[in-house]
Formats: sequence, structure tokens, C-alpha cells
Amino acid sequence: MQKSDLLKNLQEIVGNERISTSTAELYCYSCDASQIRGMPDFVLRPASTEQVSKIVRLANENEIPVTPRGAGTGLAGGAVPVEGGIVLDMSSMNRIMEMDLDNLQVTIEPGIVQEKLNEALEPYGFFFPPDPGSSAMCTLGGLIANNGSGMRSVKYGTTRNYVLGLEIVLADGTVINTGSKTSKSVAGYSLTDLFVGSEGTLGVITKATLKVRALPKERSVLLASFDNPELAGKAVVKVLSSGIVPSACEILDRNIIEAINTYDPHVGLPKAGAIIMFEVDGTENSVREGIEMIKDVCSSLATSIRAASDKTERDEIWAARRLVGAAVSRLDPLRTRVYVGEDIGVPLKELPGMLHKVGEISKEFNLPIMTYGHIGDGNLHTGMCIDVLDETDWDKLNKAADKIHRTAISIGGTVTAEHGVGSARAEYMGLELGKGLDVMILIKNALDPKGILNPGKMGV
Amino acid sequence: MNDSDMRSILKCVRCGTCRSVCPVFDVVGWESASSRGRMLVAHGISQGMEVDAGVFDSLNTCTTCGLCEQMCPSGASPVKVVENIRHQLVMQGKMTDAQKALRTEALEKGNTLGETKERMAWLGDSRKDVAKKADYVLFAGCLGSYRYPELTKRTFDILKKFGVTALQEEVCCGSPLLRTGSDPSDLMLKNLEQINKTGAHTVITGCAGCYTALKNDYPEDLKVVHVTEFLADRLAELDLKKLDLNVTYHDPCHLGRCNGVFDAPRQLIKSVCSLEEMKSNREKSKCCGAGGGVLKGYPELSLEISKRRVEEIPKDVDYLVTACPLCRTNLIRGGPRVEVLDIIDLLEMAME
Repeated sequence: MQKSDLLKNLQEIVGNERISTSTAELYCYSCDASQIRGMPDFVLRPASTEQVSKIVRLANENEIPVTPRGAGTGLAGGAVPVEGGIVLDMSSMNRIMEMDLDNLQVTIEPGIVQEKLNEALEPYGFFFPPDPGSSAMCTLGGLIANNGSGMRSVKYGTTRNYVLGLEIVLADGTVINTGSKTSKSVAGYSLTDLFVGSEGTLGVITKATLKVRALPKERSVLLASFDNPELAGKAVVKVLSSGIVPSACEILDRNIIEAINTYDPHVGLPKAGAIIMFEVDGTENSVREGIEMIKDVCSSLATSIRAASDKTERDEIWAARRLVGAAVSRLDPLRTRVYVGEDIGVPLKELPGMLHKVGEISKEFNLPIMTYGHIGDGNLHTGMCIDVLDETDWDKLNKAADKIHRTAISIGGTVTAEHGVGSARAEYMGLELGKGLDVMILIKNALDPKGILNPGKMGV
Repeated sequence: MNDSDMRSILKCVRCGTCRSVCPVFDVVGWESASSRGRMLVAHGISQGMEVDAGVFDSLNTCTTCGLCEQMCPSGASPVKVVENIRHQLVMQGKMTDAQKALRTEALEKGNTLGETKERMAWLGDSRKDVAKKADYVLFAGCLGSYRYPELTKRTFDILKKFGVTALQEEVCCGSPLLRTGSDPSDLMLKNLEQINKTGAHTVITGCAGCYTALKNDYPEDLKVVHVTEFLADRLAELDLKKLDLNVTYHDPCHLGRCNGVFDAPRQLIKSVCSLEEMKSNREKSKCCGAGGGVLKGYPELSLEISKRRVEEIPKDVDYLVTACPLCRTNLIRGGPRVEVLDIIDLLEMAME
């Protein structure tokens, strides 16, 4: 079909207001927060499952790539149309369809922003726990498609743990429902689990039923300072092994501490080689007990330990921590944070070793690498800032990232713990997954034989 | 594109924080209408992107409210980039009809409203009180002169007791042109000459747009204060009585977030009645939707933004108070549940 005919057909499905082919718009949808680029031919903002189904069917018949997108906050190019075609901006399908709180669940459209869902749940005393740094802007659809998580995953797990069921538009336009409204079901293969984290390569999420949790009565934050990241890593292993389950456990290295203090001077973090931010939530008693236990366990390794004095300080610390990934750009006017090689995960006991290794890689390439992240679940964000106009810097960055990725895999870790594979990390899938990747390809071919759904991603 | 704009664009990591706060994106929903999108479009132009209607709609829908800049974790300056790229395009003769109309009216008629009547008619019987020389001079502004003449006269009547004069042949301060890419140098020079003639060391204005232009684009040695700052410093001399009212306050972006004037208006309000803050306030205050040429160029969008802003008015207040005639105009358009007052109106109630 000619492009003009295709446009006409797409316009008939969504109406003129929900489709754009303007150069400015296409350019704006040609990237996310990663370094991956690809120009779409059309951007559509569907309003219903029916529209999505019709669009995908038409695209399948004409072998046009379809790339679903939430808020475009991804860090691996997952929402970038690397082979052109249609970008499906799902952000206007953003309704909460049902608040079924007696059953501890909600049904939502994929375009709703994580924080908006939590704002709606809060008055009823509930929350949706997975909370990435981008929670103020990322959509639930993107979070599910990437199986995202965030700072509280050490206690609450990842998005996968909260998806009870999905409505999915398959590559041929068929609409299916997976899962059930029960908290347990073993009926059939877990298709829900297959689609969670499939990054739009197997189907388009058009609805989701999610578990929610009761808000904890109390929260408390403890900042433990260490001489270096390795000692901090040891303390984390010790804390987790002693039976305490913090609701967050974040590492900040020297540069990250400075970045946070620069972004929000109110926070005033202590100067140290590394800080671990522990958060404990629960009842008043369990929080007090948890905080005391962490203090005890860390006392032999930490140089100082202090608790956030009140809710305001605690909220300020978390708000600054959420945005630190980008805030490191503030440390040097000529350097910008580049999200490459930023999301490794390693087994817990390998943490101190991996932190040491990151230090070595930083020295080898003469490139400052800042480390922060969800150390409680072995997830380290390695932040690199470069002068993006300097080719040599890019070369160093890519080499350092490659080494970080390969080191993580070699010690039983992963190249991406929560940000996703997209195009940015697709090349490592064979190395990390082995023959598992062949099975992924078989599944992909079975569900999307023409390869129209988010092509060029995940190594499939 | 200048180096610092390019650096600012390169600072943007496209994290999307601006998406979550941009009042325009909130209404429009397309990526090009977010600050992140505008940065990309500006970058595209620097790489040779053709300037068409889509480009204008992206760049010209920015109200320059600056909330994105306030919240940006990586320290980018989207407003500066947008204003500079608008200017760059205008210099190449590329602009919309709305931009052109604003410029023509301002340069030919001395105001952005297309008015041909005498600008200083607002003075009425106070014309006799306009001293040739004074330490302070009131800058009335286009809206103050033509849309709120009575308010401006009453403002002057309060101020003249403190030795404030007015300009005889004031013209537009230039702010609308600065925001929309045109060069207002002629207007600025004309105002400056008159200000200098009065011998005033300080200009007082009741408009946030005039305030930011006078403060940041006129010569640095010109001292500029907002009328709320001037009066807050003279609170004891105002003889204000208490009112049994509860009001809320809308921070004009170009007064508050862009120039840090948050406390003076609040101090004045609290001296006469109780103040209940809007849902978003001070540095994180949401825009009324009028600035940056958006009211002129995209009136429907501007109206939608205003509607969302007035939804933030607390339940049990008697008035919505603001300190800028442009905000006031647009907040009224948004159909608020309560009357919108200028802060001077409120003070006058307390003077009666």
C-alpha cells in the first residue's frame, strides 16, 4: 500500500487529530532517553483497544513496523522506531478503569503515569509499589513492558509481581486477555509473565489488572556513610543476611553525593566515600526495630550513621535520589549524563567485587564512573558523563560500558536489571541467555511471524 | 544557534521530567508540545530541519513559564533555548501571523493590543499629580493602561503619596516581543529616555511581564520593583484594616519563579486577611496559560491551561488574588468559581 493510502486508512481508524506526520512530531518521537535513534513514518495516539487492534491489523497486512511507546522515558531505545513505521503513543489511554480495592487490585489503561495511579490510590490507603526514578513521568504500560522496578524492589519486588492480568493486542490484531482476577492461578502457561518485560515485541498492552498494597503506617530513613563503595557493599550483604528486609537500600558514591547536594542543597548529604540509604517501612514497632538492627549491623563498617530527622527531610532525600541519574549532568557544564552500560545486576555476594571492578574500569579508561542504584537487589547504576561533542569521549564510554556488561555477565549477573534491553543491549542477549535466546526467537516468530512488533529489539 | 543554547540542548538527557510538569503538554499531549520536544525541535532546526507549521506549533506554544527549567534535573534551560530559537527564526523572516501582529502593533502603536487611543488616559484627574522629577516612576504597562485603567489609576493614587510619578509617553515595555522573538529595542529606548528624564532610580510595575523585561532586559543599573515589593516595604504607612476574608494567590510565573518575588505579595495579603495556598504554588506554581505569546497565538490552548489552573483554587476561599493583569485576564477566561482580584483591589478593600 502506498504511504498516502496508508495514511488515509490510519486517519479513518483514529481520526485526524490522533495522527501526525509532521516533521517536528516525527523527530520528537525518534528517540527516548537512550542514544538509540529511528525516524517513524507516522505517530498515532490511539484512544481505545479497538483502535489499537485495527491499527496493528492494518500494519500487519502491510508489514509496517509498530513500536508502542509510553512516555518515552526508556533508557535502552525500547520505544524508538529503529525500523521506521508507526509509533503508537499510548499515553492518551490513561484511565483507571476500575478500583477494586476490596480485592486489592485496580484495572488501568497503559498510558496512566505511575505517580498518577498512586495519587489516586493514596486517599484509600493503598499504593502500587514498583517506583522507578521516573515515576513522575513513566507510564504503567512502559513499566509493565519493561518489567521495571525501582528503589523499593528489594522488599516489594518488580512490576511482574503485581500484574494479575493483561489485555493484549496481538500482531494480527486479535485481542486476548491473560491471567485472572485471582491472586493465584495455575491455569495454563503464564502468558501474563510472557508479556511482562517483552518490550512490545510480542503484543501491545491495552489494559492491565494490577495488585496494590496497603500503604505502610511508618517509614524511616537511615543514612550510613562508608570510606568506600566496597565497604558499603559488604555492609549491605551483612544487613540482608541478618534477616532484615529494608524497603529500600540505595548506594550513592562520592560523586553522586555531590550531585545530589548540587541539585538540591537542602538535602545536605554527609561527605563520604559512599552512603547507603536504608529505608524501613511497616508498623511503628517494626520500623523502630529494623532501624536499630541496621544500625547495629553497620556499626563496625560505617564511619557514621544518621537517621532522617523528619518526614520533610526523608521526602527531600528521596526526591533528590529519584532524579540523580540526570542530575549528575550538573557536576560539569561541559558534560552530560549518557545512559549507556548503566543498569547491570549482579548476585549479592559479588557486589563488593563488582564495585571494585567498576573502579578499575574507570581508571583503565580514564573516565569517571559514578555508582548509585538499588544495591539491595544487586542492581548497580553506573553513571558516565561525557562531552557529547567529543568523539574520544564516546569511544571511551562505549568501551567502558562494554567491559562493564561483560564483567557482569561473567560473574553470573545481567546486563540489565530493570531498564530493559531495547536496541541498546540487544547484542549481549546471546552471551547472557545462550540457547534461551533461540527459544525467545521461536516464541517471537510464533506470535509475530511478520516481525512487525517493535522490530530490532531484545535480540529477537 | 549560539554555543550556550547548543550546550543547553546537549544537557537535556530526555528524562521526561518536563513532560510531567509542562502545562502545555498536559493539554496537548503530543511530544512536540513538551519542553523535551521543543529542545529536540530546536536541535533539529540547527541540523537543517525545515521550518513548517509543526515547528511553529511546537516552539510557539511554550508559555515560557519556566516550570520545566525549575524542575529539570540536568540543568538545561529550555525557555532560553525556545526564546532564542524564536528570535533566530524571526530574524530569518520566519514567524506566524500572530507573532507578526504582536510586533507590528507594538512597534507601530506602542502597545500590543492594537489600541490607538491615548495611552495615558487612565490617569484621569490624577494627571495633575504627575511630577516631572521623582525618585520612583510607575510603569503602567499596556494592559494596565488600556484594559485595567481604573485599577492603574487607583494604584497610582496609592503610590503618589510615596513620591511616585508616571511616564508621559510610555510605550510597551517590549516583553511580548522579547518572548516571541522580535526586537523591541526601539520601544525600550523610548521608555528608557523618559525614565531617565524623570531622574527616577527605580521603576515600579504591577505587571509580571513588564517586570521581567524591565529587570532583565533593560540596563542593569535601572532598579525595578514590583508594586507588591514597594508596598510591602511601606506596610506600616498603608493603614490597612483587617478583612474577614480567606483568599488564595496565583503566582505569576514571570514574577515568582522567574524572578523570585514570592514573599512580598503574600506579606501584603496576610496583612489584611487569611491566605490559603493553591495546590501548586511558589516555585512550582502552574502557569495561567497566557504568557510567551500563547494567549495571542493559541487562545483555545491558553483557555484550557487556565481552566486547569483555576481547578487548583482551594474550596473555601472568597477570591483568587494575583499580581499581574495578563494572568488576571486569562484566569478570568478560565471561569473560576470565585472572582479574580488584583492584589491592589484587595488592599483597597482594606483601606476603605
